[in-house]
Amino acid sequence: MATKHKTKHILVDPTTSPMIPQFIPAPRLTDLENRVVGLIDDSKENAKEILEVTVDVLKEKFGVKQVEYHRKPSASKPADPEIIREMASKCDYVLVAIGS
Amino acid sequence: MVSSKLHSTEWGGVVEAIENCFNLGWTDGLPVVPPTLERVNEFIDYIGEAPDKILGSVPERRREVTIAHAAANAVMAGCLPEYMPVVLTATEAMLSPEFNLIAPSSSQGGAAVLVVVNGPISKKLGINSKANLFGPGIRPNATIGRAIRLILMNSCGSIPGLFDRTSIGHPGKFTYCIAENDSESYWTPLHVERGLRPEQSAVTVFAAWEPRQVRSAALRGAVLDSVADVASSLGTSLANDDSVADHTIPVRQGQILITIGGSPDFWEGWEKTDIRNYLYPRIRRSLYDLKKVHAIEGDLENGDEERYVPLVPSPEDILIVYAGAPQAAGYRAAVIHSELPKVASSAVTREIKYKHNL
Repeated sequence: MATKHKTKHILVDPTTSPMIPQFIPAPRLTDLENRVVGLIDDSKENAKEILEVTVDVLKEKFGVKQVEYHRKPSASKPADPEIIREMASKCDYVLVAIGS
Repeated sequence: MVSSKLHSTEWGGVVEAIENCFNLGWTDGLPVVPPTLERVNEFIDYIGEAPDKILGSVPERRREVTIAHAAANAVMAGCLPEYMPVVLTATEAMLSPEFNLIAPSSSQGGAAVLVVVNGPISKKLGINSKANLFGPGIRPNATIGRAIRLILMNSCGSIPGLFDRTSIGHPGKFTYCIAENDSESYWTPLHVERGLRPEQSAVTVFAAWEPRQVRSAALRGAVLDSVADVASSLGTSLANDDSVADHTIPVRQGQILITIGGSPDFWEGWEKTDIRNYLYPRIRRSLYDLKKVHAIEGDLENGDEERYVPLVPSPEDILIVYAGAPQAAGYRAAVIHSELPKVASSAVTREIKYKHNL
């Protein structure tokens, strides 16, 4: 069978790639003694429960002092930027729980 | 001229060209029209705007969608250039913050993006609003809806198994586009109810489950009571309690879209508002029923049978679209639940501002 004659074509790529911005990570903490921990609960099942258990451990074993808790109005939406700013100013670190 | 990423290739015939697109991973599982530079440019030229214009973004996935991306997907879906104003406006609508695309395009709940077209453009393009409403055979319905799905997959990263984590889904995820039959009804069209004028063309996007057809006797009360019963089913996303922080209302509560067909005479004397006001107090479920299937947690208590929970937040959250066979006898309505609580995604209506001098 004869080989088909091939023609050249240019296609427009319909896909996108993630555009990852550069960022500088916050300095790592060396201990948790007297630190303030922020908690973000995504409002799905069990998120609150796992955060509560985790905080108990952090307080008991690592001396965490204070807890700031936020429950998102919906698991499907990102946390309000205002809440993120507030947490960033008040807390030394933040834990996010994704429930299921 | 397109300035997005180009891909050089070669083929020896139509089948090879189509296979090429399968191999590139650009399809929805069905054959596509190869998005050649020439064809995509025709679509962009029709619109007459810069191909790099950003229609919107999916911030969580750090992706931006441009006119060129939309055009390439519209070509692949089998659209005509004239469909571009609808495709572009629907894309902008689904990328608006209120729609919160990340929810319906990634959730296990398996939503599709239903596109409802209103105004003069729908008639000019021949978008079906009558018999076989959600069925095959009509090019603009089939290809505009498909273009939106391809944009979701290719340009928004909603690839099954990657960011699209749907458990079951439904066939509307291939294509899901209808028009409202606003020229044959005395009812106020959806886009006018949502703030636009009748002579404007518009799209409404909705994070939608499948259309559940409703059969009933030929009496208004029978149609609406049957619709309310279907809308109040257990097992919908709205009749469950998780992922919403506001527990003053025990269920997720979201919007419902209802298509209603049949002769306008059949509905004489009733406006859409009357229908909404009739349905709203009837789209509900008792605490007893919700607790029995653990849709909400809690021990059964005396009186739970008589305590009802509304499944939609307000009458305005019942979106009514006059569509379906005008001559319909038994099948006058379909109920489409939102996949999500309203706090996570709500319907968005946008005027079509792109050139469409057909």
